[in-house]
Amino acid sequence: MPKNRLIFLGVTAAVSLLYVYMTWIFAPPDVNLGELVRIFFQHVAPALVAYGAFGGTLVCGIMYLWKGDLKYDILGAASLKIGLLFTTITLLSGMMWADATWGVYWNWDPRETTTLILWVAYACVLAYRASISDREARAQFGSIFGIIGFPMVILSYISIQIWDTLHPQVITGSGLEMAAEHGMTLMVSMIAVIMIALILIDFTYYIDSAQEKIHRIRMARS
Amino acid sequence: MNHGFQAAFAIAKKDIVTQMRKKFEAFSMFLFALIAVLAFSFAIVTQGSIPEEIGSAMLWVIIFFMGMFGFAPIFLSESETGTLPGLATAPIPAWSVYLGKVIYGFTLMGIVEIFLVPIVSVLFGFSILNDIPLALATLIIGTLDLAAVGSMASALTMPSESKATVFPLVYFPTATSGLMLLIEITKIIVIGPGLISVLLIFEILIAHLVAMLTLSASVFHFALSS
Repeated sequence: MPKNRLIFLGVTAAVSLLYVYMTWIFAPPDVNLGELVRIFFQHVAPALVAYGAFGGTLVCGIMYLWKGDLKYDILGAASLKIGLLFTTITLLSGMMWADATWGVYWNWDPRETTTLILWVAYACVLAYRASISDREARAQFGSIFGIIGFPMVILSYISIQIWDTLHPQVITGSGLEMAAEHGMTLMVSMIAVIMIALILIDFTYYIDSAQEKIHRIRMARS
Repeated sequence: MNHGFQAAFAIAKKDIVTQMRKKFEAFSMFLFALIAVLAFSFAIVTQGSIPEEIGSAMLWVIIFFMGMFGFAPIFLSESETGTLPGLATAPIPAWSVYLGKVIYGFTLMGIVEIFLVPIVSVLFGFSILNDIPLALATLIIGTLDLAAVGSMASALTMPSESKATVFPLVYFPTATSGLMLLIEITKIIVIGPGLISVLLIFEILIAHLVAMLTLSASVFHFALSS
């Protein structure tokens, strides 16, 4: 494994440990939420990282259509898969939080619902990609779908400004609406989750590129 | 630019004339919508009536599903008749082909909606006449938004081996964002102003339409060249 990757892995491990410490020991109970505030840090960071990963799919789609280099398509697909993983974590942690706070796992809150639609939308992109056997067409059309699917991410993000919601709006134009310790913990959780996501995207990209090479060798031999 | 718009209108005209000769497609869409109304009625009618906000939301759900019949064959029919390569190699910009298909999809859906909307509002017991200009604008922008998404979804099914199965996979997720806004606006028109400003949602709907049209038009030549 290259030295840079090892260093990045080490730093990520250290930041992740700090994330665990700050979430479970450093952050004090919230005035309103009490101990439940700890779920908040496992919920917000994956949600924002999922949006970022889908943004990565959009950017890679544009880059592929512009440059025509297959590596952008593989990277975009990797970003999509990791986005789906983090959306799943967001939905599950959100359900745990909803159950603890409101006594039900699912209450059709606009953010909850649009996040589930987002999950379904990007799962559809994956299924769509799998339905095309021609490699070039898959990359070309998959990139287009990744681009035109992005407005759903924006709608999910702004849903709490459009509809009545149970979701607290913590990130506003004037900054973070929370205690300083919670703000610091959220920042560390964001950094840790972003680093974990980058490692996972890199790992997925590495595997998918290797699979692509094997596939090409097989095609050349047959 | 003018040449592109002329080409778009020519393509739309060609599709509309072909559709008028066949007739069955628009009629099938209308019948499907009526069947959907009856099927939904079993689930939502309580004590002989339907809450206004649910009835009005159902209108867009029915139009959304009806779009499957209207939009799916837009490029499929070109592929089946062998005219798709002609469109791809024609000396016109690719976006005009896309725009032509959007205009065609909008016209087809619009024709069916002229009959469908009054029938659904009578059967489901709601009125969109509280704010006629907004209701008309919502119907026009909403149908245009669905046509913009549906036409692109139809083009995206072309390289797939299972086109019929893949169309909903592309159409549903991309159209759902617009559908949610349309349902919300129509609800506000029917039950009166709520806490949320209807104009804000309407602006977001227009932004959604503009985003869909520009994104799709700018990448359409990649789809057509394949």
